[in-house]
Amino acid sequence: MKKTLLLLLLSIFTFSACEKDDICDANTATTPRVVIQFYDITNPTVLKNVTNLKVIGEGMTEGIIFNPTATGEAKYLTNLSKIAISLKTDADISSYSFILNSGNSNTNLISEDKISFFYTRNNVFVSRACGYKTQFVFNPLLSYSQTAVPETNLKWMQYVSVEKNNIDTENETHIKIFF
Amino acid sequence: MKHTLKYFFSFCLLLSLFFVQAQDATTKNSDRIETIVPKQIPATLYKEKDSIPPKMDRYGVRVGVDLYKLTRGLYDTNYKGIEFVGDYRLTKKYYLAAELGTENKTTEDTRLNTTSKGSYLKVGFDYNGYENWLNMENIISVGMRLGASTFNQQLNSYKIYNPNPYWGELPSITSNEKFNGLTASWIEVVAGVKAKVLNNFFLGFSVRLNTLVSNHKPATFDNLYIPGFNRTYNGNFGVGINYTLTYFVPIYKKKAIAKKKQ
Repeated sequence: MKKTLLLLLLSIFTFSACEKDDICDANTATTPRVVIQFYDITNPTVLKNVTNLKVIGEGMTEGIIFNPTATGEAKYLTNLSKIAISLKTDADISSYSFILNSGNSNTNLISEDKISFFYTRNNVFVSRACGYKTQFVFNPLLSYSQTAVPETNLKWMQYVSVEKNNIDTENETHIKIFF
Repeated sequence: MKHTLKYFFSFCLLLSLFFVQAQDATTKNSDRIETIVPKQIPATLYKEKDSIPPKMDRYGVRVGVDLYKLTRGLYDTNYKGIEFVGDYRLTKKYYLAAELGTENKTTEDTRLNTTSKGSYLKVGFDYNGYENWLNMENIISVGMRLGASTFNQQLNSYKIYNPNPYWGELPSITSNEKFNGLTASWIEVVAGVKAKVLNNFFLGFSVRLNTLVSNHKPATFDNLYIPGFNRTYNGNFGVGINYTLTYFVPIYKKKAIAKKKQ
């Protein structure tokens, strides 16, 4: 009898020690980013690495950090064929400038395209610890607009293809860019 | 791990030994009284023993209130609640027990601010494992309850979790969305003590381990706090306590049947 009581008390103290589920686990699927992959325009099935691509949001002073370990300007540059960018969770438009060959001493090589994404948002409950996440759906009539900067220039992205309208996870490619 | 278990079990064993010793001591005492009494007290006096009324157990209803819930509203502005408790003595050791309560609790998590409001009923039994001396009526009990709650939740505000907040962290968003018609049921294992403090007044304390049996959640939300069950965790597990002040209403008396001595 008393032993049961004691065991009960003991188990309560044991459980009370491990009650912390207030920290959102990093593996939980929360607000996703848009996953973009770059392809070769001359060979559209083959991925193509960009060269020193810098992506900077409209009105922002710093670009998206692709290289957290690098120092200085290098942390904003990527030379891979895949990037992920965040959409605004408090507006239905997010605009980014994609600057190829950023920081190149030969300014003729630097080309900048501006893309605005149009979407609707849906806030979905995740858990007590994580709160809510935002999922996005690209506007089916007009999901993006693309201009070269300055507009008289040729766009370096020759073709932009929206592969997935629903941005729910980062496990798939939402946009393919051919250049 | 192996050593931890070993120590754990030996610790339990040690504790169990204490109980055994304690029981030995009491039986020895009573044995001694029995053997000494007939020798020393003259036969005339000894006869009077027959006129001593037999030990009577009182049976009745105990009703009261949970002081913890009642006073919590005084210092916690996010909480309002009351719980009435009651039990009825069925047999020498078994009590029919119930709790009836209502709660209104606002929970401020880092990313969510929610209010749960509702009522609950718990019904079950307590088994008193404490052997009282003379006319003492204290209780050390274990028991079980079946609990059920009907409630609603309101999401006051929430934050969006964004692991890559390039555009900056957003402040919490006011929602005030209401989720009505929620229900839950659960089983509780209760361990408690009740001590008579004054005449028929008892102070009691109990701890509870809860397991959810059913949990009717909203489609787009979770039941974060269930009145009566308390905070929910990732699994079905929950805990609770109460601190009761009760008044015993005696209804009838029954002769206590002495335990057979070995």
